[in-house]
Formats: sequence, C-alpha cells, structure tokens
Amino acid sequence: MKRGEQMHKNKKGTDKLLSIYWFVILTLVAGGIIAMVYVFYGPPYDVRGIESEIFAERIADCISQRGFIDQSFFTGGNFNAETGEKFTDKCHFNFNVEEGYGDDGETEYFYEVEFYTLKDLTTPVFSFNDGNVNWKGDCFIKKENGKDYVRLAQCTEKRMYALSKGGGQYLIKILSVIGKSEKNVKQ
Amino acid sequence: MSNNNGNLKNPAMINKKGQVGESVTWIVVTILLIVILLVFIYAATALAKVKSLKTDIKANLGDSVDWVSSKTQMAYSISSDNKNKIQEWISQKTEDG
Repeated sequence: MKRGEQMHKNKKGTDKLLSIYWFVILTLVAGGIIAMVYVFYGPPYDVRGIESEIFAERIADCISQRGFIDQSFFTGGNFNAETGEKFTDKCHFNFNVEEGYGDDGETEYFYEVEFYTLKDLTTPVFSFNDGNVNWKGDCFIKKENGKDYVRLAQCTEKRMYALSKGGGQYLIKILSVIGKSEKNVKQ
Repeated sequence: MSNNNGNLKNPAMINKKGQVGESVTWIVVTILLIVILLVFIYAATALAKVKSLKTDIKANLGDSVDWVSSKTQMAYSISSDNKNKIQEWISQKTEDG
C-alpha cells in the first residue's frame, strides 16, 4: 500500500472516531442539562397552602350560602350537634384519598369550625372538628423561613359573618390544616 | 528530517508523539467537561433547596374577590348591624398559611 493511500484511510478512521466522540459529548451535555432542569424544577411542589385555602373555602361553602347559615345547623333554636358530627359526610369530604399515607396511614387533614355570637367573641357557642387533631399544633408555631419549619403542616384560617334564618348574627372561624409534608417538601 | 545534530529521526515516531499529544488533549477536555457538568448539577441541586416556587392563588385569580369574603358581604347586604365590630373581629386573623 502506498503511503498516501494509508494516510487517507487513517483520516477516514479518525473522522469516524471523532463523530462517535462528539455524539457522546452531545449526549453528556444534553443529559447534564436535563438533570439540572429536573433537579431544579422537579417535584415536589409545596401546594399545601393553596390546598388548605381551597379546603377552607369548601367548608365555608357548606356552612353558609347567600349570607345564611345552613338550616341543618339549627334545631329548635339551638345548634344541632349532629350536623357538626356529620359535617364531613355532609360536605362530601374524603380524607382517605391516599391510602397508607403518612407515618401510620394517618389522616393528613384537619378542620375546625367555631361559631361565635357578638355577645362573646372569645368563647365559641358551637364548634366541631374532624381529621387528625395532631396537625393543629403546627398552626400555632411561629414560622420562619427556615428549613426546620417547612415540614410543618400548612394552615389557613378564614373568618366570616353569616346569619341564621331567624336573623341571629354569627361569626364563624374556620381552620383548615393540611399535613402531607412527605409529598410536598423535599426530604 | 533531522535534529540539531543533523541525525535523522524516524517520521513514524514523530507522528505517534503527535497523536498521543492530541489524545491527551481530548481526554483532558472530556474530563473537564464532565467536571463542569457535575459542578452545574451540584449548583442546581443547592439552588433547588432554597428555591421558593410557591404559587400565590390570589395573584393568579387577578382581581377576583375572596370566596369567603364574598359570603360575608352577602350577609352584610341582609343585615349590616354591628358591622364595625364584625369587621374588626374578621380582620383579627391569628394565623394564615
């Protein structure tokens, strides 16, 4: 084989090898970019704040409509305790949406509703709650923008005013709490 | 081909040296690229830990009225007795979020 021919063949081989190399590099760079985007924008997203807001609004919707408190809350001029006990079913809330979720398959939701009269704005005349009461404590911890606090439950407190059909004025405090830190906060 | 002493050097040997030099350059560049990529991935991970991508539901809804407040307004339209007292109590939220 002449020297010129051999050099030409070598050049061809080098070009092929270089093409493979460039494909490997391109794959590496593309993979790196994908990894960076995934790490930064990937799950989990903390949507518990929004979830608790929506939850509180749904509770409010179940209690009061067009300015009046639902008639089922009253019986013979007093508050009907049974309505409070069956409120979760009445509003079609389902707390068992994620089976086996949490440490011991515990419920990740909690709500509390308190009714006040204008005579006494500190002691509720009627109240009821449902869900995992252990989450409630998290609402009263003063949160800071620290890593230690992100795993605490997210709470929303809503206050509203509504009337009974008899014209009684009531102030209603709704507290909704969402746990679910495992799915919403990076471990 | 000759060196300073006028001795001939094997041209194949010179080619080989050049090829080795070139290969080393490519390997070094590849390693450097991987290292830079790893640094960027590490930086992205570190930034992801401190990022705040919380969505503001109120901002997304624009000028729409708060659902619970609208219920209070509806009740005011029926009876606005003691409005100031009620409004004061409503604005005393203890915790939100």
